[in-house]
Amino acid sequence: MILFNSLYNEIIKIALKPRSYLGLAAITVLVGVIQFALKADGMSIISFVTSSFEQTLSFEGNVLNGNLVAFIILQMLLVQIPLLVALVTGDLVSGEAAMGTIRMLATKPISRIQLLLSKFIAGGIYTLVVILWMGVMSVVVGKLLFGTGDMMVLNSDGLVILQEADVNWRYLGGFAVAFLALFTVSSLSICLSCFTDNSIGPIVATMSIILLFTIIGTLDVRVFDPIKPYLFTTHMAAWRSFFEDPLPLSAISRSIAVLVVHNVVLISVSLYTFHHKDIQS
Amino acid sequence: MPEKIISVRHLSKKFGSFQAIHDVSFSVYKGDVFGFLGPNGAGKSTSIRCLNSLIKPDSGTIEIFGESITTHRESILGRVGSIIEKPDFYKYLSAYRNLEIFSRISGKPSSKQEIYKMLDFVGLGGRERDKFAGFSHGMKQRLGIAQTLLHNPDLIILDEPTTGLDPQGIIDIRNLILRLKNEQNKTVLLSSHNLAEIELICNRMVIINKGRSMVEGKVSELMNGENLILRLEASPLSQAKKVLLTWKPELQWENVGDTALQFPIEKSEIPLLTKFLVDQKIEIYSLEAKRTLEDYFIKIINQ
Repeated sequence: MILFNSLYNEIIKIALKPRSYLGLAAITVLVGVIQFALKADGMSIISFVTSSFEQTLSFEGNVLNGNLVAFIILQMLLVQIPLLVALVTGDLVSGEAAMGTIRMLATKPISRIQLLLSKFIAGGIYTLVVILWMGVMSVVVGKLLFGTGDMMVLNSDGLVILQEADVNWRYLGGFAVAFLALFTVSSLSICLSCFTDNSIGPIVATMSIILLFTIIGTLDVRVFDPIKPYLFTTHMAAWRSFFEDPLPLSAISRSIAVLVVHNVVLISVSLYTFHHKDIQS
Repeated sequence: MPEKIISVRHLSKKFGSFQAIHDVSFSVYKGDVFGFLGPNGAGKSTSIRCLNSLIKPDSGTIEIFGESITTHRESILGRVGSIIEKPDFYKYLSAYRNLEIFSRISGKPSSKQEIYKMLDFVGLGGRERDKFAGFSHGMKQRLGIAQTLLHNPDLIILDEPTTGLDPQGIIDIRNLILRLKNEQNKTVLLSSHNLAEIELICNRMVIINKGRSMVEGKVSELMNGENLILRLEASPLSQAKKVLLTWKPELQWENVGDTALQFPIEKSEIPLLTKFLVDQKIEIYSLEAKRTLEDYFIKIINQ
């Protein structure tokens, strides 16, 4: 019961903190700008992409439809969304320490494990809201603005054409994996948040780690090859696998496993640290 | 013997190489208003944080309501209300919302009416919807007191509750503590730099210095062992001085203006001296025996 009460508190705190709406506002503006750009000049971009296939294929119908627009948006933005998530979740423990409220919370009859778990769950709920908003703005608004149709995806293996009826479940799966990836970012920032009383530090540190891991992941240097499959950043784009045909189930499962293990480790380290921490703020 | 509410035994805590507290022991009984005294850096806050399980001591034991804080943390904290150092709340939330948040995890969630009543009780009626960020220091302290009392705790721990308050605010808090003790038989542990305040409202106290507990006991008993300073206003003063030297040749005094003097005296000597002065035809206008906690406190921490 007290865990539920604490979770309710955390949700209230996030909901009433102005910073929480920065992410949602940023998504609205960014998606809006991209949709406007695609509406204004999207066909020239599509022509540029499809020009290499025009000798063997002919494209008919609404190619620049909501399904494709949403895919383009997600590809462009899911790299930036971790910053928006970390802005809120990185503050959940250290922000309380900086304000002094963690001292007040820790003198209440709730275990520190429950207190921190409620913050993880609240961070997860916020991440889910961000992802859902991203989904509403890109997929729902995209379909309203651009209509629907078969989806054309250009990936490393070539061009994949997905039937209109075959797209929605792929988006659901893609968003679920994207949520797991973003929840890993949330867990990382909360974990870092447990080690400091500075509210900005964990946010900057989270972004630095994501940048570092992303650079390691993209560098074509052999020495990094053994660790690349285990970096969570390698699996942050796993949502794209849902738009391959046939579905690479083993790759998706591996990504999910790596992300889940990251979350378990990060949450465990956080709980241990917070439970044993001397609260001196 | 009243029920022991807090029992602290041989508490020690080190931060790196700094020994914050070393072998601190004291007991607080039911109904006590217990003064927790010490100069800055003496280890008061560290001890109070250990009591609230914010800090884990390196050694020693803490029992509250007869149970160890280590093993019964949640059940104990449900019966304790604390302000540690200063009340910190969420700046972007209203007074009402802040109390609601802390109440929800206090073990005894309060209704909207109870929160409004408590805000009214501490003098914040009408400010329920105002953001904490806009509160003055005194209002923040009052909100802290409201948060402490909202779940009707049996033990109240107040760390410097009157810091920054205006004189009326200090009197209000003092009266509130006395009401909690007298009307509701609450136990209060009060850490304060205001020695006059401790002297006025505490029945028992401990003085800690350099991380160690120096003395503990009833305020009246601890102070009874001390010499008094007697301030005598008499006429003619020159004659009074001669009489005093007759009464006690080794007596040394200090002039207080042109009409009075003060000197150390034992409590039992006061009636004898008064009779002696009257017998010697000295007119006594005022006779005031002073024994301040401040003198006692300074003596203890300089030991």
